[in-house]
Amino acid sequence: MSGVSSVRLSGVEKRFGELVAVRSIDLDIAAGEFFSIIGPSGCGKTTTLRMIAGFERPTQGTVEIAGREVTGLPPYRRPVNTVFQSYALFPHLDVFENVAFGLREARVPRAELRRRVAAAISLARLDGRERARPNQLSGGQQQRVALARALVNRPEVLLLDEPLGALDLKLRKEMQGQLKDLQREVGITFVYVTHDQEEAFSMSDRVAVMDHGQLEQVGRPEDVYRRPMTPFVASFVGLANQLTGRVAGPAAGERYEVDLDHLGRRLAHGPPGLAAGTAVSVVVRPEDLRLTPADTQAGPAAATVVDAAFLGAHRTVRLDAGALGQLVAIGQGQSALAPDDKVVLSWADDDAWAVPAAEEG
Amino acid sequence: MRLRAHPVAGALALAVVGFLWIPILAVAVNSINQDSLMISWGGATAHWYTRALHDPNVRSGLTTTLEIALGSTLLSLVIAVSGALWWRRASARARAVYDATVYARIILPEVVFATALFFLFLKIHFPLGIAAIIVGHSVWNSAYAAVIIQARLVGLDPAIEEAAADLGATPWRAFRRVTFAALLPAIIAGGLLTFTFSFDDVVTSYFLGGNSATPLPLVLFGMIRFRITPEINAIGVMVMLFTVTLMGVAVAVFALMGSAGRGRRAALAEFYGR
Repeated sequence: MSGVSSVRLSGVEKRFGELVAVRSIDLDIAAGEFFSIIGPSGCGKTTTLRMIAGFERPTQGTVEIAGREVTGLPPYRRPVNTVFQSYALFPHLDVFENVAFGLREARVPRAELRRRVAAAISLARLDGRERARPNQLSGGQQQRVALARALVNRPEVLLLDEPLGALDLKLRKEMQGQLKDLQREVGITFVYVTHDQEEAFSMSDRVAVMDHGQLEQVGRPEDVYRRPMTPFVASFVGLANQLTGRVAGPAAGERYEVDLDHLGRRLAHGPPGLAAGTAVSVVVRPEDLRLTPADTQAGPAAATVVDAAFLGAHRTVRLDAGALGQLVAIGQGQSALAPDDKVVLSWADDDAWAVPAAEEG
Repeated sequence: MRLRAHPVAGALALAVVGFLWIPILAVAVNSINQDSLMISWGGATAHWYTRALHDPNVRSGLTTTLEIALGSTLLSLVIAVSGALWWRRASARARAVYDATVYARIILPEVVFATALFFLFLKIHFPLGIAAIIVGHSVWNSAYAAVIIQARLVGLDPAIEEAAADLGATPWRAFRRVTFAALLPAIIAGGLLTFTFSFDDVVTSYFLGGNSATPLPLVLFGMIRFRITPEINAIGVMVMLFTVTLMGVAVAVFALMGSAGRGRRAALAEFYGR
């Protein structure tokens, strides 16, 4: 990573009439980075991508690509290419001509065009299918044509809009690995939009979480998972047990003392600057929740097993923790648990993370 | 259906087929009949074909017909393609209104449009003749073309124009290389169909031709009223062959489009099959 910014959004906002699709986003994506934007449907992630591509013009703010402002430029004048969710392959052209489309528009000389198209087709492992029409290809092959058609132009930035959404699970997993390898190989900045947080985590250098048109958090996948800044991020990114409480004050080791409802005072990490009295949710990830079998339902940290589901590598245990609500635990040493078993909950202080509670809470 | 198992229906079916095809067969036979009164078989001859091809009325009628068919086809395609492109981006409500006007032009009797246009042209002093007939034919022809072209457009991914723009194509280049190119089979099929319909039209041509334009079907009509000669049969056979050939080409184009559709289904089946 050279540290040069590949895509920069400054104060970008997009309104469709009354509806605010994206509100005041600042985003800096480094050259060569695999960057993902995740969020539920309607959160504005696709609109953001379309503003980078040039299909939508921001109502406010500026878009820069490779240090050049492109806010007012149409898509055909931007050094970016897109892999569409529906692939949008040209049905009347064969694989070769689909891939060659951009180079023909750029009037690339014939010999070079042939060479580059052949290379892109090889990269996408489509050798031998040059003369096939899109409707003669499988879903996975169509996806790779879309990828080759975009990459052959050597864009500054490759934009991918849920490119794996139409594939079945097994193919998806395969393609995730291939996409990551490909990105490393070509060294082009990838901006990847998906609603699938696992998919984004498995490939990305950094992810941005969006909700209601707003950037909730930007960071490395581990940071976003381990140190969510809002309750939304905590619940959207993986499973989270959230326990409500109030900050009592700072503690040693950049931690806080938190008074948890029904459980009393505990230690938790958290973002800097939480004032005493702030309402917080303390996040304990399911894999960090320890369950100790107990004979009787006693004490505030007690719970009853609702069910235990076997998922191959680990088990997911759903718990009824009374006033604390429904909790989930995943993992180690719980194979003996059965519904209606009584357990006592515990976790290491280092595995607790306090998030300022949502305003309405 | 096995005819023996349904004797009544079978007899009816045979009668219908007989009524439909025996006259056509008679026309074909008499077009090469030496007996000019067509009472009995007088031996084979190509004489009537030669005569028909040298008849100045027939020749000018054919020229007029071709001019009208070509003009109406072009006008109809322009209307249908531009309408379809608008239709694709229109609201559901605007689409419904547009569709209604398209189907109305197919369903409503031709004679209604013909009379209406006749009075309109008189009122605005638009001269009756070839141009008037072209407009008249385009009323329903553009509707048939619209139905065919829209059917193809519905199957196109709306994102393909964005993909073209994304790959560096200006809006005009994107239209030419992607939208228009992808629609081309439907445009050809629609054009062949409208050409054929225009070629053998009588009603609209009769109302809007005035004194100056007499297309081939009206020439035939006039000849029949005067005297029935084997020449008419020869013309009939030639028109029939021409029309059948055009329809054959149209069907072939449709079949190609259809096979593309099957290919897509096969690809989907392969994809979901594993």
